[in-house]
Amino acid sequence: MTDRSAMAVETPFVAIIDDDPSIRESLVSLLRSVGLTALPFASAQEFLQQRLPDAPGCLVLDVRLPGQSGLEFQRELSGTDIHLPVVFITGHGDIPMSVTAMKAGAIEFLAKPFRDQDLIDAVHTGIERDRDRRRNLDVLCDLRERFRSLTPREREVMRLVAAGQLNKQIAAELQLSEITVKVHRANVMRKMQARSLPDLVRIADKVTLAGDA
Amino acid sequence: MRTGDDPGDQRFLLATLPPRAGQTRLAIGTVAGLLVALAIAAPFARLTPDGTAVLLPAYATAVLLTELMTAVLLFALYATQRSPALLALAAGYLVTALLIVPWALTFPGVFAPAGLLGAGLQSTAIVAAGRRLGLPLFILAYALLKAMESGPREAHRPALPAIAGGMALAMALAGGLTALALAEDALLPRLMVDTMRETPLWRVVPVTALALCAAALAVLARQRLSVLDLWLMVVLAAWAIETCLLSFISGGRFSAGWWSGRVFGLAASSIVLLVLLAEMTTLYGRLVRSVAAERRVRDARLASLEALSASIAHEVNQPLASMVTNAGAGLRWLDRPTPNLVEVRAALKRISDDGHRAARVIACIRDSFRKAPPQRSRLDINGVIRSALDRTEGERRLNRIAVRTDLQQRLPPVNGSAVQLEQVLLNLIANADDAMAAVTDRPRVLSIRSRRRGLTDVIVSVEDSGTGLQPAQEGRLFEPFFTTKEHGIGMGLTICQSIVEAHGGRLWVAANQPHGAVFRFTLPADDEPERPEAGAALERTR
Repeated sequence: MTDRSAMAVETPFVAIIDDDPSIRESLVSLLRSVGLTALPFASAQEFLQQRLPDAPGCLVLDVRLPGQSGLEFQRELSGTDIHLPVVFITGHGDIPMSVTAMKAGAIEFLAKPFRDQDLIDAVHTGIERDRDRRRNLDVLCDLRERFRSLTPREREVMRLVAAGQLNKQIAAELQLSEITVKVHRANVMRKMQARSLPDLVRIADKVTLAGDA
Repeated sequence: MRTGDDPGDQRFLLATLPPRAGQTRLAIGTVAGLLVALAIAAPFARLTPDGTAVLLPAYATAVLLTELMTAVLLFALYATQRSPALLALAAGYLVTALLIVPWALTFPGVFAPAGLLGAGLQSTAIVAAGRRLGLPLFILAYALLKAMESGPREAHRPALPAIAGGMALAMALAGGLTALALAEDALLPRLMVDTMRETPLWRVVPVTALALCAAALAVLARQRLSVLDLWLMVVLAAWAIETCLLSFISGGRFSAGWWSGRVFGLAASSIVLLVLLAEMTTLYGRLVRSVAAERRVRDARLASLEALSASIAHEVNQPLASMVTNAGAGLRWLDRPTPNLVEVRAALKRISDDGHRAARVIACIRDSFRKAPPQRSRLDINGVIRSALDRTEGERRLNRIAVRTDLQQRLPPVNGSAVQLEQVLLNLIANADDAMAAVTDRPRVLSIRSRRRGLTDVIVSVEDSGTGLQPAQEGRLFEPFFTTKEHGIGMGLTICQSIVEAHGGRLWVAANQPHGAVFRFTLPADDEPERPEAGAALERTR
């Protein structure tokens, strides 16, 4: 997750789950023709066993799968750490089915046979969404790393600064001199790479939202 | 239980339904009860209690209502069945019901000492004679007319004029007899000595009535009995017992025997009316259930057709989707700055493979239909027509659609699948019935005809008097998924056409005159001398 070198060379990928081999092959060819890496899978199990590349991606999912339906699999995925955006393809799409899928966060619901451009557009939308998600995730990882580099005292000071307290109040609460608080505060600003007080508050929010402040 | 003459009817109509064993027992029990009552009443028959004349208007009213209701019931039965016999019987009941009015009014000592309406001594007796002889006479007429009836009934004639005519005739008869009875006493036969005692001439009346009862019973008994016939026999038996009590056992007017005859007669006719009403209600319930069953079968068939077409759609859609995607991919590989011909070739190869796969799917579907080769046999198309009519009877009866069949006798057999050809007929009949559902201003008539056409063909036509077809619809009618119905899927006629064509025939449509549409199809006649096993098959399909 935190391997930055992978991020630099990341190429987006598209995973395809469809039990029909000729559909799979045609999709692989179509996606490769526009420069995307396509990873075909015949079943949900096969997909789950494979390690996915650490890159923005998208999942093209057939609704009609052997055993478990695509919709059920989408629900199952939402409980795991795989957060790929899903584009559904279906041979017998009806409106209630597509509504369920879209409510569960699918990018698009395409009835076979679909226009190739529609699929490519949907896949690109999915990849963009995933890229955004990953970028946010990276930023958060970065911030947490910085937060971890703070001393316990500095963390306390940061929490109180972000809560809007003045140096004098912080000094009183922590029973430190105001000068010491100022030093800690400068360290926090430097280590967290905050350019201003509002910037620090925003960063503190993000770190807190992530859950372990 | 059923014969081939008029399929379906017998399940739903009193006038054709054979009685169940329980009904026969009830009828015999009723007659036996009357006989027991006769035996009990006989010893007291000659007593004449005083002041019973006041009961006569009540008795007359009860008879009037019972017989009027029976008449109405029979007219209604005629409206659905159009049998002249039923019309005669209904008119007869109306005559006897109407005659009870002058009978009571002219009865001496009831409303006036000499009776109302300026009645003479003979008036009441003449009217009574008319009633006494009238009922068995009309039942005899019914039985004879029924015996003469054969072949298809003219169900397409509107019932209302016939019913109106029957009623008018009944009123004229009753009115005429009343007028006669009120004529100068001297001109009339002397039936009464005084207001209480009959002349020997009166004896002719009960004897004739008994003879008529016996004749009617004999004619009825010789025919295939229906529920209605059974209860008419009870009526005749009761009428005969009543006649005996009144004329031979009783001590004249207002005696105990005379009254008990009256009461038994009334009781018997009430029982008959009640039983007929109960039977009609039961039959209506049975009709409704049968319609529901027909609908269920049709819905189930539609549902399985839908499931089949959905699975076919999926099987064909998969390669189709793959082909479209491959074509898109191929074009994109071509459109690159340096076209990648290896990829284009691979895409084209996959398109070709998918095309073959789709063709295999379709061949598979066709094969699976062929796998169970239709049981072809030499069969009588008239039998198939009757069976199809039989299976759609309930629905039609509920929608008041009349059937006119005109099936040529001694048609050459055709070679085919009875199941498939019946499917064709069921479809055409259902379409015709549906087309007439909205018609209110003219009779709804389904006509089915079979004929030999030329040397080589048999032709069947299914006509309706429905809304007909727009010229624009006519051209597209046989196209798959074209439908004029709100909930149709538009496959019926397409399937019909392919079945008929698979049998070597042709199916087409034309406008019917003056209303509706007529579908005709031909089938090649199979005039080969019959082989023994083919003969057996022919028997089975009947």
